[in-house]
Amino acid sequence: MLLCLSVLRQAQDDSGEIMPPELWEEMLDALDAVSPLVDDVRPGLAFLDMHGISGDAPMWIAQTHRTLLRFGCALRTAVGANKIAAWAALHVADGSRCEPGAEGELLAPLPLSLLEIDPATIERLRLLGIERLGDLARLPHGPFVRRFGAAAASWHELARGIDRRPFVPRGHAVAIEASIFGEGRAADETQVFFALRMLLARICDDLERCGKRAGALRLAVELEDAEACTLDVPLATPTAHERTMFDMLRAKLEGMTFAAAIVGLRLQALQLEEGGEAQALFCADDLDPQRVAVTIARLEAALGAGISRAQTRDAHLLEERFTYEPFEPPPRAMLEKNQTQSELVPQLRLLEVREVPVLLRGGEPAVVDRQAVSQCVGPWRVAERAYTSSPLSRDEYDVVLENGTFARIYRQGSHWYLRGVYE
Amino acid sequence: MAALAAVSERQKAFELLRARLSAKPPALPVEGLIRTAIPELDLLLGGGFPAGIVATLEGKTGCWSLAAGLVARTTRRSLVAILDDGSLYPPTLAQAGASLERVLVVPVRKAVAIARAADILLRSRICRLVLMPAVALRDVVWTRLASLAHRSGVLLIVIATHAGAALQSAAVVRLHCVLERIITHGQRGLWGTIAGFDLCVDVRKHKYLAAGRTACVRVGHEEIFDAALP
Repeated sequence: MLLCLSVLRQAQDDSGEIMPPELWEEMLDALDAVSPLVDDVRPGLAFLDMHGISGDAPMWIAQTHRTLLRFGCALRTAVGANKIAAWAALHVADGSRCEPGAEGELLAPLPLSLLEIDPATIERLRLLGIERLGDLARLPHGPFVRRFGAAAASWHELARGIDRRPFVPRGHAVAIEASIFGEGRAADETQVFFALRMLLARICDDLERCGKRAGALRLAVELEDAEACTLDVPLATPTAHERTMFDMLRAKLEGMTFAAAIVGLRLQALQLEEGGEAQALFCADDLDPQRVAVTIARLEAALGAGISRAQTRDAHLLEERFTYEPFEPPPRAMLEKNQTQSELVPQLRLLEVREVPVLLRGGEPAVVDRQAVSQCVGPWRVAERAYTSSPLSRDEYDVVLENGTFARIYRQGSHWYLRGVYE
Repeated sequence: MAALAAVSERQKAFELLRARLSAKPPALPVEGLIRTAIPELDLLLGGGFPAGIVATLEGKTGCWSLAAGLVARTTRRSLVAILDDGSLYPPTLAQAGASLERVLVVPVRKAVAIARAADILLRSRICRLVLMPAVALRDVVWTRLASLAHRSGVLLIVIATHAGAALQSAAVVRLHCVLERIITHGQRGLWGTIAGFDLCVDVRKHKYLAAGRTACVRVGHEEIFDAALP
C-alpha cells in the first residue's frame, strides 16, 4: 500500500506561496520515522511505501500527522494500492482509503485534471463529451491512443486505475567532510597541497565506503589573521577519484593569494550521487570532462579571465551576431561525429573600431585610409533602435583596397569607420 | 685563383647537398596527420598537417580562412582552442562549418599571457589543435612550445603576417598565403557580393616534404561561386 501525502503551507490559499525546498527536505527527513521509503514527487507531494510497516491505514495516517505536526502545515493524506489510487483517494477526502480493486469506481467521477493532462487536451476531450475519468476509461484504448498520441496510453490506463509509474525512493543526505585545524601554519603552497591531499584521501575513503561520488567540493580556508574564505569547486562529472579532485582544487588555488598563513582547512564533499562513474570501453578518443575542467580552471587562474565558447544569434549589427558564454566541459556523448559540412569562407577579423578618411566618387568609397579602392560592394543599411532616444543607422560596405586588404567599413552619420578585415 | 676555385667548389658541393636533401626529405609520418578539409592543401602537405608540431600560416589575407577550414574539420571529433586577441568573429567561423560548442575561446592579449595559455593547453592535451596569433616571444619560449606540442601530439598553428626568426626556426611547417584575385558576384554596388578570393599557398618550410611547392585554394561560398564564375 502507498500513502499519498500532500502538504500545503497554511498561507498558500491566500498568497499562492509555494513550499520552500529547505522546509520540504526537513519534512521528508522527518517522514523517515513513518517509512524508510519515500518517493519525493515534488515539493508538497510525496508517496510513502507502507509495505511491511506494522499497523493499518488509520494508524499510518495518524502517525504521519503526528510526525509533521511541528511544521504547522496543512496536511492531507490518503492510502491506496498504487499511486493513482492513493492520489484519487486524497482528492475524495482527507484520510480516506482506496481498497484494491475499487480504483475504477473511485476514479470514475473525478475530473480529467487529476491526471495532470495539459489544459488544451482537456478542452479537446471536453468537446468530445469526455469530462470525467469514467468517460475516459470507457473509450476504446487503440483509437484513443492513435488520436491523442503515445501519452494517451498512460492516461487511459491511469483512468482505469492501472499505474505503471515506478516508485523512486529518495536518497538520504550524507555529510562527508574532513578538516585540519590547530596543527601549525602553512605559509608555503606545497604545505597546503600536502594537507589537501590528506583531506582528500580521507574524503575519498568515506565516499568509497558509502558508494557515492561528489559533484562538488567546498574548501574553507582559515587564515592566521582570523580571516576565512570559502571556495566552491564544481566537478565536471561526479567522482570519487582523489587525483581528479586534487587537480581541480590545485588549479583553483593557483590563482589565489592569501594575506596570511593558513591555519585551518575544511574540505566538504557536496552534491553526493549514488553509484560509480560510467566508463566507455573503447575510449581512446574520449574527451575527459574532468581534464577539460581542470585545464579551464588552470587557464582561468593563470589569465584571470573566463574561458568561453561562442554562440551565434540573429542580429543586424555585426558585433551583436554572437555572444560568449562560459565553456562547459562537453559530456562523453559529444564524441559522436559532427557531420556538419565544412566550407572555406572568408573569415572576418574584428578590429578596434577606428575612424578612417574616405573619399567618395559617384557616391561610393573611392579611397579608404589613403588606399585606392579596387572593388566595392554595398551599401547595406542597418537601422536599429529607431524608436529609442539613440537610433543607429549605418551603411556597410565591403571594399578591396589596392594593397590587397579586403575590409568591412561603414558610414555612420558623416563619419567612416573600419570595422574589420577579411583574412 | 686557386682560392676562388676552392670557393666555387665548395659552393657547388653545397648546392649539390641542398638539392639532394630537397629531393629526399625524411619520410612523412602517415599516422596522426591532421587533415585540413581543403583538398588542395592536403595534397600540398602530403595528406595534412603532421600532429605534434608548430606550423605557421603566414600572409596578409587568407590565413584565418584556411585555419577556419582546419577548425571545422577538427571540431568534428575533438576540441579546438583559439587564443583570441579580441578579433575573432565567430559567425564566419560557424559558416565555415566549425562547431562553436567545441571551440574554447581563450581571451588573451599580452604576449606572455598568450605563451602561458598555449603552454597550459599543450600540456593538458585536451585539444587536438591550438590556434594562436604570432607574438614576439623569445627563442627559448618557441622552442619550449614546439617541444610541448611534440610531446603532446597537439598541432599548434601560429597565424602571422610575417613570422619572426625565432618562430621560423621553431616551425616544422610554414605556409605562406598570397591573395591572387577577388571574385565578385553581381554588379558593383548594392547588388554585388564579394564571393570570395583565390589564394596562392606556397610551402616555405616542411620537415618532411620539399619546400617551394604551391597550390591555389579558392575561399568563398560555393553557391555564390557557381553563380559568379562563367
